[in-house]
Amino acid sequence: MPHIGQVPDPSPGIETPAATILLIEDEPVTRTSMAARLTRLGYRVLEAENGRVGLEVARRERPDLLIVDWMMPEMDGLTFCDAIRRDPQLKSSQILLMTAHDAPAQIAEGLVRGADDFLSKSSSKQEIIARVLAGLRTSRLVRKLETTGEELKSSMLLLEKKQAETEADLQTAAAFVQSLLPSPGSPVRGITLAWEYQPSLTLGGDLFDVMTIDADHLGLYILDASGHGVAAALRSASLMTFLRAENMVQLLGSYNPERVLFEANRRFPLSADGDYFTLWVGQLHLPTGSLSFASAGHPGALLSSATHPSRWLTTASFPLGFDPSARFTSDRVLLKPADRLFLLSDGIYEVPSPSGELWGRERFQEAIDAGKQTSLSATIASCFAAARGWQQAQHFPDDAAVVGIELSDCREGTSHG
Amino acid sequence: MQIKERIVPQGIILDVVGDLTYAHRAVFKAAVEKAKQAGCRHLIVNLEQVRFVDSAGLGLLVLVSQNFKLQQAQISMLKPQSYVREIMSLANIPKMIPIYEREEDALMARAA
Repeated sequence: MPHIGQVPDPSPGIETPAATILLIEDEPVTRTSMAARLTRLGYRVLEAENGRVGLEVARRERPDLLIVDWMMPEMDGLTFCDAIRRDPQLKSSQILLMTAHDAPAQIAEGLVRGADDFLSKSSSKQEIIARVLAGLRTSRLVRKLETTGEELKSSMLLLEKKQAETEADLQTAAAFVQSLLPSPGSPVRGITLAWEYQPSLTLGGDLFDVMTIDADHLGLYILDASGHGVAAALRSASLMTFLRAENMVQLLGSYNPERVLFEANRRFPLSADGDYFTLWVGQLHLPTGSLSFASAGHPGALLSSATHPSRWLTTASFPLGFDPSARFTSDRVLLKPADRLFLLSDGIYEVPSPSGELWGRERFQEAIDAGKQTSLSATIASCFAAARGWQQAQHFPDDAAVVGIELSDCREGTSHG
Repeated sequence: MQIKERIVPQGIILDVVGDLTYAHRAVFKAAVEKAKQAGCRHLIVNLEQVRFVDSAGLGLLVLVSQNFKLQQAQISMLKPQSYVREIMSLANIPKMIPIYEREEDALMARAA
């Protein structure tokens, strides 16, 4: 704790330049006397004979403390205070107003006009020093705050720039992943394909494909990576590459669903963080409409028949990687003209209402059944609309995908790329 | 999600309240790790107050089950709600992690 009359070292052990004080006083004797006193205390003292000159010096030198006389020619102390507070570069300066006045109304006026403290011209040496020290202490704090604010602002700008770069990268990656998905339309003669997909984040972990295997077969799958975000999307893209038609045909000689799942299960084990996939795979024999399918823990596909009640095509089974020795069994169903098959991720129906109730598979099925008379794409769109209406929000908490294929009468087994 | 730990002579029961999902995986992992550090041989996850388990939650349960098996320890599940049970059945989880309706039965299972 410093004694009055002793200037404390603001940062012991660190060399700091002497504080600069601008003394504005029209009376030469008073100004010279006070300047000498402050200089002896170790401060750098600048002098000005009125407010106008003082303002010029302040703008040029940015002093740590301004000591200003109230009554002066050309620009008095109060007008000087006004000017300082209006100046963006100087407005946070500490001003010590010297006055012979000590009436409360005058003190109040001085505060309103921008003074921070007052110094009576009849003050003792100790009081002058104490008020100068207090003013300089506040000045240091204000400047530190300003510096911190500026650093914070530049950090924020840097962060925003980095965030924009990351977002741009994610958008590029998302566009790439979207490009891997099949084009809606007619992948082969007699089959219509439509889908809608809304990832919960920029990049999704649910992926699907509908592809020509050979002249007579169409392969189709939907996979769901546990978790969200970039890691899940990368894992999904890796599995999607593995599931390409040419890769499976080369490896297995066909797109036999249970063999596809067996191989995928061997190659994509449960990760150390508990990440895994669920996968539904089907192979459609185009000339007959015979669909063989198998599931690895996936909620399955929904067969919407024109003539029969809808039915789920799935079996209880481990997801990929849960049991390295797991076997998956195929099932078979015959698709007829006008039948629709929907592959879906659980994210489309595991959407909570505001009260927390899930939309659920039954309501999804009802939405599909209600759309039998509308186009395939309109049916899928109405499912998404119903799910969004249920949760009363546009964005889904998990990746949501519905892929539909519809068989028409004109299937002759002729495939198109 | 909140997890309360109950230590019983045959093991540790985790009473889970809330959704066991991707967003809450860290809380669940921490509770399991604490039980493991305490030398737990039978971890019973009480799902009575869990309304929803997502794929990440299922993965965690299986991972924990596999880790416990490696240490000759066991994990069981208690009283899952119907929707949670449906999700688990679809993924064949009951073949990997036994499910019990009564706490006494779960505790007896390890003792047996």
